[in-house]
Amino acid sequence: MSHNDTVPLHPSSQSDIDEIENLINASVQSGPTTVLPARPPSPPRASIPVSSSPFITSNIQPTYQKPPAAPIPVPPALPTSDSSSRASISNGFGSLPNTLTEPVWDTVKRDLSRIVSNLKLVVFPNPYREDPGKALRDWDLWGPFFFIVFLGLTLSWSASVKKSEVFAVAFALLAAGAIILTLNVLLLGGQIIFFQSLSLLGYCLFPLDIGALICMLKDNVIIKVIVVCVTLAWSSWAAYPFMSSAVNPRRKALALYPVFLMYVSVGFLIIAID
Amino acid sequence: MDLNPPAENYANPKTCFFHVFFKAAALAFYILSALFFSSFVVIFVVTVLLAALDFWVVKNVSGRILVGLRWWNEIDDQGESIWKFECLDQESLARMNKKDSWLFWWTLYLTAVAWIFLGIFSIIRFEPDYLLVVGVCLSLSIANIVGFTKCRKDAKKQIQAFASRTIASHVSSTLQSAFSVV
Repeated sequence: MSHNDTVPLHPSSQSDIDEIENLINASVQSGPTTVLPARPPSPPRASIPVSSSPFITSNIQPTYQKPPAAPIPVPPALPTSDSSSRASISNGFGSLPNTLTEPVWDTVKRDLSRIVSNLKLVVFPNPYREDPGKALRDWDLWGPFFFIVFLGLTLSWSASVKKSEVFAVAFALLAAGAIILTLNVLLLGGQIIFFQSLSLLGYCLFPLDIGALICMLKDNVIIKVIVVCVTLAWSSWAAYPFMSSAVNPRRKALALYPVFLMYVSVGFLIIAID
Repeated sequence: MDLNPPAENYANPKTCFFHVFFKAAALAFYILSALFFSSFVVIFVVTVLLAALDFWVVKNVSGRILVGLRWWNEIDDQGESIWKFECLDQESLARMNKKDSWLFWWTLYLTAVAWIFLGIFSIIRFEPDYLLVVGVCLSLSIANIVGFTKCRKDAKKQIQAFASRTIASHVSSTLQSAFSVV
């Protein structure tokens, strides 16, 4: 192809990837012989070119994703056998993401800002949000991972004996609880994506995290009870719109009750630890 | 898959290093921590954190750079979850450094096997707490393996489809030119 001569060949793979992108853009465009690259070839960088995984293909609007993502943020990854999910083979000649060559720090900042925006969306009061079911479209599991671990650590710290067991129990309870609650919604015939719901339930733990932190610092039982009640109500209130919009209105209570139950049990754990 | 690495040098030594580093650090910390730390909490948090970082690095950095594959999930406007698997086109795939991809795939599979062994050990020693750690790390490794393997299969399918399309278009254009000459 003619444009091969115009793109300088560097030994580094960085420019190889630029070149690859040019080739792909050229193959996508059918007409002119000279093809402008999607963006100018980037200068060689010292850092590792990385990006998180954005969804930028030529036919889909950019939204974003997750770590560990897990991850957790991480852990998100196995395709579910749910009938509503399907694996689609994307066109190998779709445009490569422009974030391919961004430095690591940009990626990290973008992931962090996504966690913060997800948090604000889920947990903080916003009577004007249009459709709660649509929020958390770009789910990620880093946030829930941090919140669950933080809660486990706080509980473990406050405990004077059996610290390891407390941590293990808290973590297992929260992780298994989130999975079971999601299955509950799915079995009730609700329309919710597995990872979206896991992400949501994890983010709704944020108020309980704050409650646990305060309880760790102040040891008075009355204050603990009040703080836990307040944060418990906040958590349940945050989870309510997402869960209720996912199921049939007649089954709302069936979907919401277990969520409330789980948060109550976590609340009891927080109060009872001394 | 052969056991010996190809003869060329690594094209992306830093990426390869990080690809291996977090995996090795998680495994090493888990195995050696029993000697130094008695606290399960520290072992759990550090190991799982390293495994999570490794997952992120493999999915976002080394997968893209070492083997030119990428997979992710997105939710479209109808609320459906779509898994996307993407790869570079064949020309660039053929240009990928063989040693890089050898390292990538081997370490991916070996880590999962290592975690399975550690899980069996922890069952034998009756320490179900540690099974939690192993379970999390194993699920992260398996997630990456499944994602990238699906990418590879899709890559082969796409390459075949592209090849057949190209051949068809070449054949038709050759026929056309032959007819126009005649």
